[in-house]
Amino acid sequence: MSKPNWRAGRTLLHLAAIGTYAVLLTACGGLGRSDRPAQVEERAPEVRAPAPESGAQVAAYRPPAPPRVARPVPNRAVGVLMRRADDQRRAGDLDAATVSLERALRIAPDDAVLWHRLAAVRMAQQRHDLVVQLAAKSNALAAAGDDQLRGDNWRLIAQARRALGDAAGARDAEQRAAALR
Amino acid sequence: MAAKKKRTRGRGKKTARRNSKARSWWKILLAGAVLAALLVGAYSIYLGKTVRVKFEGKRWAVPARIYARPLDLYAGASMTAEQLQTELRFLGYRQVGDVAAAAQWARKGGRFTIHTRDFAFWDGQEAAQAVVVDIAGSEVRRIRSQSGGRAVDLLRLEPALVGSIYPAHNEDRVLVRRSDLPDHLVNGLLAVEDRRFFHHGGVDLRGIMRALWSNIQAGKAVQGGSTLTQQLVKNFILSPERSLRRKLNEALMALIVEARYSKDEILEAYANEIFLGQEGQRAIHGFGLGSHFYFNRPLNELRLHESALLVGLVKGASYFNPRRQPERALQRRNLVIDRMQALGFVSPAEAETAKQRPLGVTERGAAHGHRVPAFVDLVRRQLRRDYREEDLTSEGLRIFTTLDPWVQQQAATQLDRRLASLEKARRIDRESLQGALVVVSAQDGEVQALVGGRDAGYAGFNRALDAVRPIGSLVKPAVYLTALARSDRYTLGTLIEDKAVDLALPGGRRWQPRNYDHQLHGEVALHEALARSLNLATVNLGLQIGLKPVITTLQALGVQREIDPFPALLLGALSLSPFEVAQVYQTLAAGGFNAPLRAIRAVVDAEQQPLQRYPLTVTQAADPAAVFLLTRNLVEVTESGTATALRRLLPAGLQVAGKTGTTNDLRDSWFAGFSADRVAVAWVGRDDNAPIGLSGAQGALPVWADLMRSIDNQSLQMLPPTGVEYHWVDRDGRLAAEHCDGAVAFPFIAGSQPAEPSDCLQRHDRGGFLRGLFD
Repeated sequence: MSKPNWRAGRTLLHLAAIGTYAVLLTACGGLGRSDRPAQVEERAPEVRAPAPESGAQVAAYRPPAPPRVARPVPNRAVGVLMRRADDQRRAGDLDAATVSLERALRIAPDDAVLWHRLAAVRMAQQRHDLVVQLAAKSNALAAAGDDQLRGDNWRLIAQARRALGDAAGARDAEQRAAALR
Repeated sequence: MAAKKKRTRGRGKKTARRNSKARSWWKILLAGAVLAALLVGAYSIYLGKTVRVKFEGKRWAVPARIYARPLDLYAGASMTAEQLQTELRFLGYRQVGDVAAAAQWARKGGRFTIHTRDFAFWDGQEAAQAVVVDIAGSEVRRIRSQSGGRAVDLLRLEPALVGSIYPAHNEDRVLVRRSDLPDHLVNGLLAVEDRRFFHHGGVDLRGIMRALWSNIQAGKAVQGGSTLTQQLVKNFILSPERSLRRKLNEALMALIVEARYSKDEILEAYANEIFLGQEGQRAIHGFGLGSHFYFNRPLNELRLHESALLVGLVKGASYFNPRRQPERALQRRNLVIDRMQALGFVSPAEAETAKQRPLGVTERGAAHGHRVPAFVDLVRRQLRRDYREEDLTSEGLRIFTTLDPWVQQQAATQLDRRLASLEKARRIDRESLQGALVVVSAQDGEVQALVGGRDAGYAGFNRALDAVRPIGSLVKPAVYLTALARSDRYTLGTLIEDKAVDLALPGGRRWQPRNYDHQLHGEVALHEALARSLNLATVNLGLQIGLKPVITTLQALGVQREIDPFPALLLGALSLSPFEVAQVYQTLAAGGFNAPLRAIRAVVDAEQQPLQRYPLTVTQAADPAAVFLLTRNLVEVTESGTATALRRLLPAGLQVAGKTGTTNDLRDSWFAGFSADRVAVAWVGRDDNAPIGLSGAQGALPVWADLMRSIDNQSLQMLPPTGVEYHWVDRDGRLAAEHCDGAVAFPFIAGSQPAEPSDCLQRHDRGGFLRGLFD
């Protein structure tokens, strides 16, 4: 019944997520390239995640003090859906990727990484208003000290705000992202 | 020709006259016959057109079908054996000793073996599979495939069918194809209704003679001579009047139908048209729906005795109603089986086994809107924004909703039970109390259950949506949130005055609200004022910050109604439905992120093509830091405030946040609150709005607690978001430390913690050091 395990599970989840995350961002740039050249430029800074094997990134995503796991965490179920969302996204089926991530969120509703990834898919769909909100939600749920995730969220927000014509807001978000590096 | 005539004429006058007479008769006859043939022909063409229009257009309006949420199973999912068993029953799966086919399950202790059905979801097909699910305590331990033991990471069961949206003429049906009809169903039909179906041309003269003969023998009408084709024509095309003309029309059309369509097409149409039962306004048509209605499973899963029962209903669905007239239905069913045996369709042994079986019908029609009418009502209202009523009732849409049938069942049961026990314990008139319950998921706003009143299985006034009542103290969190968001002026420790209020109202009247206990409490800490739901402190606070900001907060939290800017608003002079209240508390439960309440996930058309999806959206409505402080305060309400009664009603260790609400003269009793993953709102009152003598804590609170106890909940973790810090504060609200006497740790929005150090710090000579740290 207790909650900490959800957050503890995030550590493992992040391990699994980080690899696909890099691919996701790369894929995102790839999609953007074919459709909208301008977006590639904005996304370029995001494609900074090293190869999935790198240990450094993993450490950055780890919450400061993972609590002890009290019961099996639904990592695997969420992992299945995350991988599915990646596949769907790579295949260009963004709607399906959204459906898979929403389903994962029903299993792990306070998982900040899932909210972030939903925001990223919505970004690829040009749903800029929603991107800002979903990334803010991810930030609100992000574990204290998870600066990496927060930074990524702020960068998404900056991108979306710029697309919405809010240049000042975009700069502000970029500064926040930079401060978290 | 002329010579012939002459010759004939020459044979004699008598013959000639006779011949001439015969000839004219013959001519008249011929003309008559030609005319008749023409008329019949023309008439047949006309009838044929009628038949074609009926058969080749869209034959039936197919009501939209409403599905509950599908159940996701995975290691770590919260699930008791009891719940899983109930879920499998909702799906109409059969419990067996050894699982051998789809839609079967077996249980040994906490180990379930389940063979799922194929199902086409809006996001793809889920293939049938056999799995072993281990449940320990209240969660799924692991899932493996039955053969091979391969780990299954994620399993999705098909969703239960919970209702349909049928048209104004009240015909409900589930379309089936010829290939869906089980052999024993077809054979049963042949055996009792039309044994020469595959041999006659629409009308069966031998059948009519046989019927006539048995009727003469019996001295009354015991057997009809109508073929299945005639029955189909009668029900499908013609009006229900009884006359010779109609009988002739029927025969003629039957011949036309037979000439134009194959036996399989006719059988399929018959199987979809036949009337099989009535439930209130709703007419059950076709074997497809009949199977769901009586057995809660699809037609192709029926066994001999179940098919025979449906066949028996053809003769008279209400006379042989298996729920009302089980004896008659049993006799009729066994007669069908006997006839099948007599005609060699089943062996004597098979017939005997089938006749030994009980009727096996479910208690009430399971797969229909009456089980969750309030929820179906909500779905309908949400759909009406995007679809025409006509499309909903005729296009065979499939609607996938957010309904959690387990939570719904618990909610309906707990409300009924608690209201009955309240009436008994407090000597309130029986059946006079009414109530409503709404349950939504905290983060994404999915409506999991909606109970519109007692006896939730019956449609009626939907109080969850339509009982718009003053919300009383449920409004207070909006007042306090507005204050806490101004961290430069207010913290949980800020002292506010619980003093008398006397305001002049337009029209010369005065407003003099009182506390529930009719006392004045002087200066109280802000958190205490909310925890104890002090009216006067709240009004004073609200007047300080102003009504407009409070209204803005309420709107941001999700209130869409117009809000009158009167001071009484601060005490809940705002009328909302339980559903609308749930939206407000969802925003609080989700840390300030409003997720519009949704009852529908997706709509697909009859060809399984997705038409529409209702995606997850959120809007940040309030500062997460301020919402965190408020939530901390609402936890206090349940631990040491007006909702302390929860402590003995909820499982130990389950931390929840909530607020009681009571309106003038104890007319409405409210409780709204949330755990980490669910928001629930309970309302108790009377339909005539008379006082019920129960406060929020006495009426709605126990209903809410009963519900939350009966379903799994994640405890609130209260992890502070960025921008929130905990600080030790002494009794006077000054900055202290853990070792100080009576110091309590409170969350503050960074920078809003008190600057003035407690004596305790100065005594230890550390004040300066600490102050330096925080400055």
